[in-house]
Amino acid sequence: MKKTFISALLVSAITIGSLTAQTAQEIVDRADEAFQGDRVYSTSSMTVYKSGEAQAVQKIESYTMEKAGKTYSLSVYTAPRRMKGTANLMIEDDLWVRFGSTGRTRKLSSSAKKNSAGGSDFSYADMGDGGQGLSEKYTPQLTGENTVEGERCYEIELIANASDAPYEKMVVYITKDNYRYLKIEYFENNANIKSMTFYDYKTVNGTDYPFRYIMESHTKPSVTEVIVDIFEIDSSKVKDRMFTTGYLESIR
Amino acid sequence: MPEYNRRERLLGKWGEWSVDNWGKALIIASVITVLLGFGMVRLKMEMTFYSMLPDRSNQVRDLKSIVENFSYASGILVVIDGRSIEDPAKAEQTVRDTIDAITLEYSKDIYKPYIASVIGKVDMSLFKKHGLMLTKMNDLERLKRSYSNLNLVPLLEHINDDFEAEYSGNSDKLAEEESDAVTRFKGLGDLLELIEYAAEGQNISDSRLDEVLESYLFGDPYIMSNDNRMGLMIVQPTFTMNDISMLQPGVDTIEAGAKKIASERGIKAGLTGITTVGRDEIVTSSKGLVVSSILALILILGLLVLMFRMFSVPLISGIPLITGILWTLGLSGLIIHRLNIMTAMYIVALLGMGIDDAIHLLSGYIQERDGGSDFKTAIERSLIKSGSGIITGAFTTAAAFFTLTIAQNNLIKELGFVAGLGILSELIVMFLMIPPLLAYREQRLVKKGKTGNRIFTKVRIKSDAAAGIGKLLVKAPVAVAVVMSLIIISFSLKAGDVGIQDNLLEMEAKGLESVHLNDEMIKEFGMAPDGLLIISSDLKEVRDLTDKIDKLSSVKSVESLADFYISDTEYKERSSFLRQFITDLDSTESMAEVNTDSLLKELYRLEMNLIEMGDMAYMGNMDRLVNTLGNMTGIDEDGVKTEETSFDRLYSMLEDNRSIGASPALKALQSSVFYKMNQKIRTMASTGKISLDMLPSNIRDSLISRDGESYLISVSPTRNPWEGAYRDIFTDQMESVTDKGTGMILVGDQMNLMAQADGRRASLFAVIVVFLILVADFRNIKLAIITMLPLLGSFITLFGIMAVTGIKFDFINIIVVPLLIGIGIDDAVHINHRYLREGKGRMNVVIAMTGTALLMTTLTTVFGFASFIPSIMRAMRSTGIVLSLAMAIAFLNSVLFHPAVLIIVTEKLGWNIKPWRNDKNDNETT
Repeated sequence: MKKTFISALLVSAITIGSLTAQTAQEIVDRADEAFQGDRVYSTSSMTVYKSGEAQAVQKIESYTMEKAGKTYSLSVYTAPRRMKGTANLMIEDDLWVRFGSTGRTRKLSSSAKKNSAGGSDFSYADMGDGGQGLSEKYTPQLTGENTVEGERCYEIELIANASDAPYEKMVVYITKDNYRYLKIEYFENNANIKSMTFYDYKTVNGTDYPFRYIMESHTKPSVTEVIVDIFEIDSSKVKDRMFTTGYLESIR
Repeated sequence: MPEYNRRERLLGKWGEWSVDNWGKALIIASVITVLLGFGMVRLKMEMTFYSMLPDRSNQVRDLKSIVENFSYASGILVVIDGRSIEDPAKAEQTVRDTIDAITLEYSKDIYKPYIASVIGKVDMSLFKKHGLMLTKMNDLERLKRSYSNLNLVPLLEHINDDFEAEYSGNSDKLAEEESDAVTRFKGLGDLLELIEYAAEGQNISDSRLDEVLESYLFGDPYIMSNDNRMGLMIVQPTFTMNDISMLQPGVDTIEAGAKKIASERGIKAGLTGITTVGRDEIVTSSKGLVVSSILALILILGLLVLMFRMFSVPLISGIPLITGILWTLGLSGLIIHRLNIMTAMYIVALLGMGIDDAIHLLSGYIQERDGGSDFKTAIERSLIKSGSGIITGAFTTAAAFFTLTIAQNNLIKELGFVAGLGILSELIVMFLMIPPLLAYREQRLVKKGKTGNRIFTKVRIKSDAAAGIGKLLVKAPVAVAVVMSLIIISFSLKAGDVGIQDNLLEMEAKGLESVHLNDEMIKEFGMAPDGLLIISSDLKEVRDLTDKIDKLSSVKSVESLADFYISDTEYKERSSFLRQFITDLDSTESMAEVNTDSLLKELYRLEMNLIEMGDMAYMGNMDRLVNTLGNMTGIDEDGVKTEETSFDRLYSMLEDNRSIGASPALKALQSSVFYKMNQKIRTMASTGKISLDMLPSNIRDSLISRDGESYLISVSPTRNPWEGAYRDIFTDQMESVTDKGTGMILVGDQMNLMAQADGRRASLFAVIVVFLILVADFRNIKLAIITMLPLLGSFITLFGIMAVTGIKFDFINIIVVPLLIGIGIDDAVHINHRYLREGKGRMNVVIAMTGTALLMTTLTTVFGFASFIPSIMRAMRSTGIVLSLAMAIAFLNSVLFHPAVLIIVTEKLGWNIKPWRNDKNDNETT
């Protein structure tokens, strides 16, 4: 079985589109190959800069799994002290938050996936959503070429084709020579509201992954930088039992 | 004998008459000046950007209509800054006290001419009576759930339910409602404190309970910053920023009052908002113009004294110069009745341009005297020799300016009128006054016995440097042309990168308190004073737009009458709901006692909810909420419990003594809360219809036009809308909802767009007109084209330098385009005239004889423009830099590139540049 995971990098929000846009589809598919795998474990440091001032660094352990066509994602905060033990569990459109400070778990409405995760510029959906569910919500269209971070890229528009797509449009920039995502621009009400840029690609299990990515809000003076410290594919650290509310409550 | 044409002969005759009749000539000039004095009386100084707004765009028309019809748009924001006080609680209290004190201060008589109303605290009177009718159905249902039972335990239980449903895990919602949430939490904290006191056996006074419930239900009436150390007041002035006579004294008085009161309390207060910025524009631009005028006059006249070594020169050239300025002001007063920042700047610049005519005339006169001519002959010949060049130069310049009057916006049109009139006024005045003034001087010298041909022996108009340049040009014209061409070409590579200044605030004076506070409001209050405004005459449209705009991610908040619009269907639905709500409320009764176990359970739950919300606030950088919730839970920023709170003390008491719930004090508190809250909610649930005349006056005056026909929607952005990239997002999102938005940010763009469009059209027209004048003057198309070449080179070089140095074009310094077309060509025209007179192979003589005069006229012009550089207003400074640069470039191209090209085409390539037809009369020899 071909296993697909959508990492905390969000990029796999972009996948299969219309049959009429073969070229764009092929490019997106090639870029998505880099994110094929299962049972991904990662640790990362997330820093939010508000008006240029760095806030407390958030350390997060992430577990992602694809099973029976469903995407499972769990993010556990290990720092700062105040947030230690706080966790987000997402199974498709269902989202639970466990607060480390009180030990209580709350189920959120599916609309909450659009909300900011941990005060960052990522939404809960950006942090852990993806898979075929989201990919079906966009139609890719090759709109040209552009230079991003000094590299020539395909510029592809992904237009929402479902009313519950998180964004009305995304524009992705994929390198021409090795099909890496370099930048994603998110659009809402005709405007580019935030952009994510990928850096420091490293090869893990024969595939290239970005170990640093930055989400910049264009509507608030806020930038979020994520640095991936550990990234494992087919990791033995990822267990089925982690993706339950029972496990959430057991986190210390 | 030289051949003179008709114009030269006329000039010679004028010279002869004006010398013989110098008194009459001066009287004629004086009479005209007095007559034009009537125009000067009518002249108004309108020194704000607002007064320059073009009125051909819908956005500008809407903005003007809003400023004139809604006092909201002219609101002066008074920012009270208590950040100098270290203790946050003391700072907050001082700020609140200061707001009250300033409100009281503004009620005094001295403010009455300037202040229509003051908003120090939000008027909650309508909300207290009709708050529930003004609430949307989904929120009403939420409120009904929260207040369905007002006994202590059910009340806390429902509050907990509400927190968990609305805020848990939803930091966005918490951030959106931060201000309201802070107030609500504070009210809740106070209520907990009362429960604690009651649990201790204390009786709670009615007034204290009333105060706590008011705070919990209706929120904080003061407008406070995120950390509560700054406060905001809104003063509605009696004037708009277009009432120039009231603007400065009004804002000054309001500012002085706020600063005095704040200073007495050891804190600071300052003003911002577009009305205040308008006042600052008047002050800084006026101050800048006074300094510039004095500086320009001193530099120019100083240069003349230095060059001519003649102390009477400041009078001989200065009197006509000032007279020319007075004529220009008089004519401007008669025709357009006002000066704006741009035209006022031009008047100062005219000092540098008008003096050029005097320099050419005096240089010609001195050269004639040096050459041995007697006084009268020297005057006649100087007018004949220099006159044609001066007239052609002035006509090309004036023509370039007058072409601006075809512009669509008044800003450029007025500049065209004033500038064209200025050049012609100076031209006429110089010819009218300089010969008679020289004659008057000569008569005095004769009386004193100081006669003789060579009375200016110290003067050296023919300089060595100019002669050296002339020789170089004759020796290596190709090399000079190639070097100059290479310079122009190298700048052409960058010329296209010159930017446009789209931030009006970057054009204001640096360090202005109003601009600084504009930024501080974004940082401390999370709101930008400069947003977008929309007017509508339909309340339903107001609500629809408000609902849509409020959802945009680039929008912080929307103020409108949306909440006050209730359709008939909604009215019926809400009335029915509220009646049922009251019936249900009536069906509950005050419980005999408080169930201690249940109270404990809800307190535990409430504390956990507050801790979780504190976590979300911490991660979302909501400082105000973090502080408020931290105070309630005793948890510091790191999540560590550091202080004992009401929760801890209540747990201790309730866990130790389960019978406290039946204690008289707690029972009494429960009963009081039940009845008082019931009473307040019943009052809020009034089902009477709400009409606009029931609105608090501050809301009515702010959001309803003076004629009552239209309504205002004010949109606050999430970031500083003057930042280019964000502005596009904000305006794009707004345009996805409506195309009716307006505001200074959009109007600034309109100003730039119209200035660019008008600039392009007028410049093209000016180039054509100037070219035609050159053709008419030289009667040789080839020479006319060659004369235009240095102008092209000057533009390319200027744009290239601006791009390299990062100087941007704005709607003020764009004045350089017509000025360069008009003035930049003058030097080449003078060289052409002299070259035609001297003949081939004598370019060295041409440059030697004209070079110094050209340098001097360029220097005086540059002095006129450079006098803006010390101005604190950045738009004026930028204009000074760009214009000075442009004139220097034009000079270099005229004295190096142009003569080199002339030599190459006439002496190397053999082009004929002589006039194509000689008039019969012109062939006559004088």
